[in-house]
Amino acid sequence: MLAVKLMGASKRYSDVIAVDYLDLDIEKGEIFGLLGPNGSGKSTTIKMMLGLVKPDSGSVNVLGINIEDDPVAVKRKIGYVPESPRLYEFLTGLEFLDFTGDVYGMEIEEKKKRIEEFLKALDLEGREGDIISSYSEGMKQKVIIISAIMHKPELLLLDEPLSGLDPRSARIVKDLLRQLASQGVTTIMSTHILEIAQAMCDRIAIMYEGRLLALGTMEELRQKARMPESGLEDIFLKLTGTADVKPTVEALLK
Amino acid sequence: MNWKNVLLLVTINIKSYRLIRGSQFRRFREHRLMVYALYVGACFIGGLVGWVIGNFYAGVSDLTLRGLLYQGATQLFISLPTLALLYSLIFTQMSQVQRMGAKVTIQPLYWFPITWKEHTLASIIASILGAPLTITIFVGSSIFAASIFIGLVPLAALTILALLASVILASVTTEILKSVQTKLGGVVTKAAGRAAVWVRLFGTLLFFLVFYLIYFSLYYAVTPIGLVQSIADVQLALWFIPYVWLGMILFTFVSSLWLEMLVLSIASLIFIYALFMAAVRVNVRFGLYEIPSIRISSGAYIPKAGLLARLGFSSLEAAIIKKDFRSVTRRRELMYIFIFPIVMIIAPLLSSMRTAGGTQLPAAFSSFMFAYLTLLPGALIAVTLGTLIIGSEGESVWFLYSSPISSKSLVRAKYSFVALFSLVVAFICSTVSGILTGPSPRIIIIGLIEALFLVFSLTMVSLTFGIKGADFRELPPRPRMIRPVWGLINMVVCVAIGLAIIAPLIPVGLRLMFPSIDLAPSLFSGLPEYYVYVSLLASGIIAVVVTWVFYRMAVNSAEGLLLKAVGVED
Repeated sequence: MLAVKLMGASKRYSDVIAVDYLDLDIEKGEIFGLLGPNGSGKSTTIKMMLGLVKPDSGSVNVLGINIEDDPVAVKRKIGYVPESPRLYEFLTGLEFLDFTGDVYGMEIEEKKKRIEEFLKALDLEGREGDIISSYSEGMKQKVIIISAIMHKPELLLLDEPLSGLDPRSARIVKDLLRQLASQGVTTIMSTHILEIAQAMCDRIAIMYEGRLLALGTMEELRQKARMPESGLEDIFLKLTGTADVKPTVEALLK
Repeated sequence: MNWKNVLLLVTINIKSYRLIRGSQFRRFREHRLMVYALYVGACFIGGLVGWVIGNFYAGVSDLTLRGLLYQGATQLFISLPTLALLYSLIFTQMSQVQRMGAKVTIQPLYWFPITWKEHTLASIIASILGAPLTITIFVGSSIFAASIFIGLVPLAALTILALLASVILASVTTEILKSVQTKLGGVVTKAAGRAAVWVRLFGTLLFFLVFYLIYFSLYYAVTPIGLVQSIADVQLALWFIPYVWLGMILFTFVSSLWLEMLVLSIASLIFIYALFMAAVRVNVRFGLYEIPSIRISSGAYIPKAGLLARLGFSSLEAAIIKKDFRSVTRRRELMYIFIFPIVMIIAPLLSSMRTAGGTQLPAAFSSFMFAYLTLLPGALIAVTLGTLIIGSEGESVWFLYSSPISSKSLVRAKYSFVALFSLVVAFICSTVSGILTGPSPRIIIIGLIEALFLVFSLTMVSLTFGIKGADFRELPPRPRMIRPVWGLINMVVCVAIGLAIIAPLIPVGLRLMFPSIDLAPSLFSGLPEYYVYVSLLASGIIAVVVTWVFYRMAVNSAEGLLLKAVGVED
């Protein structure tokens, strides 16, 4: 069963093609990695899946629903972590999570239980009553991750989810995502940290200038790049044509 | 002192206006020729005004009147530096508090080779450029041109120098107060603990209240001539306060007290320099001060169903209403919403004190005051908050876009909050006006019903335009919230609709205000007793129709907004 299906989805901003006729099938329960250099269209693709960006052509089907037909129904089933998120800084962490629970229509008891569990797990206990403007970037990231997961979504759209997290919290989030995947929750994450993508993702898509350069498991990517022993970093640099950084470094040192 | 650094910092400060203005304005604002043209233009217009005044003086043949005018001009020149200082301080302080919510970053000072002295001087110069300097040039050139005709050229020249010095003095003082306020805010926040949010809200309101009281008592309590006269007198009595020395220099000049004039001039220069050094020191200590975090809650987390749920709001709508309430009570840039009703009560009250001169208010004025205070503050809050409530989401709007919120729920939640808030304001203001003006209970009820109609309909109108013109950018020094053109359109439409709603009651209002005057016999004198109820009904029908039409428009606009996810850039 497919969690997400993109058919010929494309998006253009003035002269820039952000996403170029993208076809993508993502299975339920899969942890799917979206990789690519800056400006390759990863964030736009994720926003199209959420209905935040309307494709110029093609269609986006999420959890069996066309996003344009019933965006509210789709959003109810999604948890989203944007790249560099802005929170309501005048609320406390606790108030923001309480607000999130109410927005997703969570029952009072369940909301209380989930918030307390997550605050404890991600070491936010003791600071939950402070207003968010006083939080560090990492603490804000923790709050946003909790708000994406606490209502038990079927699909997680995560744009650089682990940025700013301390090692312990990052480990908890990674383990949590694996557990959720085993329960059938689909995770689509965009990241620049290739080690994380290699370690966590079932399949990886490498995007470049809005197009899909390669798609598959680590093994399939190695075969495609004809680099059987290599890690994801080398494969990524080779496929995106950015491998030869030596002249650039030498020029900078002159 | 590296003057190149100072000039660079001044340029950066001027360029910070890019964040406030649009790109068209940027080109105009930053073009060197345009900047000089502004000052030259102010000088030219000021000169023209002075020439007209001077010609008027020259045309007066009555010697007594000429003497009086000469004396008046001398008094005005003497009081100008203190008057300019007073106004500059009041206005810069008020704008300073409004800007405190925005975090102006001066962190490059940590690692750039810039000294605090250079930074402070640049900040002072930058705050003088623009409006303060333009006004000073305008006033300076007009008094100089007029003085040629009046025969006060030396005094006028000295006044211009004193005016420039007073603008510098105001700017240096503001620089000190800016840092002290930040530090003081931090101390209060820390000491107030969990009550910090409320202390901050009421502290800010108190601050504005005091400044507006000073301002309005200056503006309303005395006539302009009386003000000039009293300043000229008061500064002599308060000679020990260095801020009035500039005015006193002019007085000593007029009185030919040369030694005193020399002493005061040197003392003023020393005072300005000492104040500048104090500003540098204060900036060194508190310039990079971070206000401590506010802890609002601690202990066990107990979620509640709440009153809003019992009133029939869904959990989602109630969550948005609660969040918006916290937003207006905790965000400094939204706190000025509370200032409106306070100012609207203070201004006419002080005005009425002058008008009445201690005696009882006339009936027409009393009725006008009742209508003004009952209808206007609530309606104004509805219009202001209604236009800002969507844009106030700022860059956090992505959360609403990604949440399962329907357009109807969004409109309902936002509308309910603004309408409830405005109604509370309308109720408080009408109670105050009821106490002050003492109308009959029947009039109070009619006024309240009309306020209700205005609030309900104007909230919906403003919310509609607020959605259409929402601006989610949160660039320093303040979040945008609404595009100016949509704010203007909303204001015009609201004025028209507001007038349409109260139109049926205008004959009743005029009758109350001027019971003895037969304004239009054919229309008003034969008003039957039931007319007031018919007019209320008509007013209500107009309000309901407007609300319904704009509700449909608001839902459509909200649907577009949620679909397009405006403000979410790739």
